[in-house]
Amino acid sequence: MAWFEVHPENYMGGGTPLAYLEAIRRDYPLSLHGVGLSLGSADGVDERHLSRLQRLIERVEPGLVSEHLAWSAIDGTHFADLLPLPLTEDALAIVCRNIEVTQDRLKRRILIENPSSYLRYCHSTIPEWEFIAAVAARTGCSILCDVNNIYVSAYNHGFDARRYLRSLRVACIGEVHLAGHTLREFDDGRSIRIDDHGARVCPEVWALYAEAVALFGRIPTLIEWDTDVPPLAVLLEEAAHAESIMTAELADVSAA
Amino acid sequence: MSALHEVQQAFAASMLFEHDDAICGPIVEDGFTAAERLRIYRNTFRSTLTEVLRITYPAVDRLVGRDFFDSAAEQFIQATPPSSAYLNEYGGGFVEFLATFQAASTLPYLPDVARFEWALSVAANAADVPALEAQALAAVGPEHHAGLQFEPHPSVRFLALDYHAGEVADAVLSGDDAAMAEVDVSRRPVWLVVHRGPNGVEAQRLDPRVYAFVSRLCDGEPLGCLLENAPAEAPALIAEQLTKGRLKAFRIEKDRPS
Repeated sequence: MAWFEVHPENYMGGGTPLAYLEAIRRDYPLSLHGVGLSLGSADGVDERHLSRLQRLIERVEPGLVSEHLAWSAIDGTHFADLLPLPLTEDALAIVCRNIEVTQDRLKRRILIENPSSYLRYCHSTIPEWEFIAAVAARTGCSILCDVNNIYVSAYNHGFDARRYLRSLRVACIGEVHLAGHTLREFDDGRSIRIDDHGARVCPEVWALYAEAVALFGRIPTLIEWDTDVPPLAVLLEEAAHAESIMTAELADVSAA
Repeated sequence: MSALHEVQQAFAASMLFEHDDAICGPIVEDGFTAAERLRIYRNTFRSTLTEVLRITYPAVDRLVGRDFFDSAAEQFIQATPPSSAYLNEYGGGFVEFLATFQAASTLPYLPDVARFEWALSVAANAADVPALEAQALAAVGPEHHAGLQFEPHPSVRFLALDYHAGEVADAVLSGDDAAMAEVDVSRRPVWLVVHRGPNGVEAQRLDPRVYAFVSRLCDGEPLGCLLENAPAEAPALIAEQLTKGRLKAFRIEKDRPS
């Protein structure tokens, strides 16, 4: 295992969890993958949360710090979920300002991940792949490309996952996520894919990952599995499969 | 106010109160209605926070049963959603919610079990702060002893309860029906101090006089006042609080707080 990733929100207190995290950090590089900063909030990022994140960063010195292109709080109420943003110029300006505040405060570049989503807004004017590329270009942040989320959202909203991948600048990609999701099918024939990090990566997402590696090269890749966590051997198989795809794709590239 | 702010407020009304009117208009309806799409997010919001509460209050969950817990949690979450993304600090208000929750009135000990579990959770998650070392007090001259005031370790909570909540929690979590049947759930007061020391989270039962002394000591009452009417074992009790790591710092009265 090359490195580990955790949600900083689980380690903002003290006691046993933090002691375990520090034990892991003694032997491995660490990535902090936030879910609570709410970079898409119209009323800005929560100063207390930023302070807590900063203290944790000082304590465990992570190699990477990431967050999501989403919002989760407004007017002081937090919804503990990654909620979808309208993809408008107004929202783009707000997200970029919040990322700049965060990066200035943490004195480091962060990575921004594309989330899975289950709804779109009528007044969105910017495709998600252009929106996240613009965020990276304006703020200097990197992109955490979640291949499973691209697949899930492409299915749910009917866009082309390959076009999404191809439109991202290679230099912006700092990390890749893979995960399992659930296909929820209804009696009337309708279906929607729900990102739940509770299963093996599906074949279509592995295929998309191979294309991502061919485009982006060797990129740190994480298997996210935090619901119904299986035995360690299953997680290691998934990680080994990702490694084998990376090796095969890069061999093809160098042979070509 | 920005257009985004308006959308987010309308989305929040849907998440909390199922008021979809203001947010449905801006949502694309292809295949699924706006209400169906919003329900996916609302269900995640509720189930995530319900599980947060269940992790904090496992004995309450076992005592009332899963369906009852889910229903109580849903009402609590709607009335008191999180005010931060650090969810380990979410749910302290569930104690008072249960105390006034009509449907739980047949279990009069339930709020005390919740108080006990919240104290365990606070102790488990409290910040890592070094405990006050006894040697640090050695430098304080005898003329200052009467003015000594202590600050508790952030993990310390004092509980004066009407029911033996710790025994109820242990019995119900053991899954042993016989053990649960043997627990005395009648109204019998009990005094506890909960904290996280070098050996983890600990709940210690105290005699009421000792409880009064130790809680006043930890709450910063100057030693001079405290010793005027103290139990004979006061010196040993002070030493015990230091050994257990229940004190964080001290100052001397009339000093500027550091």
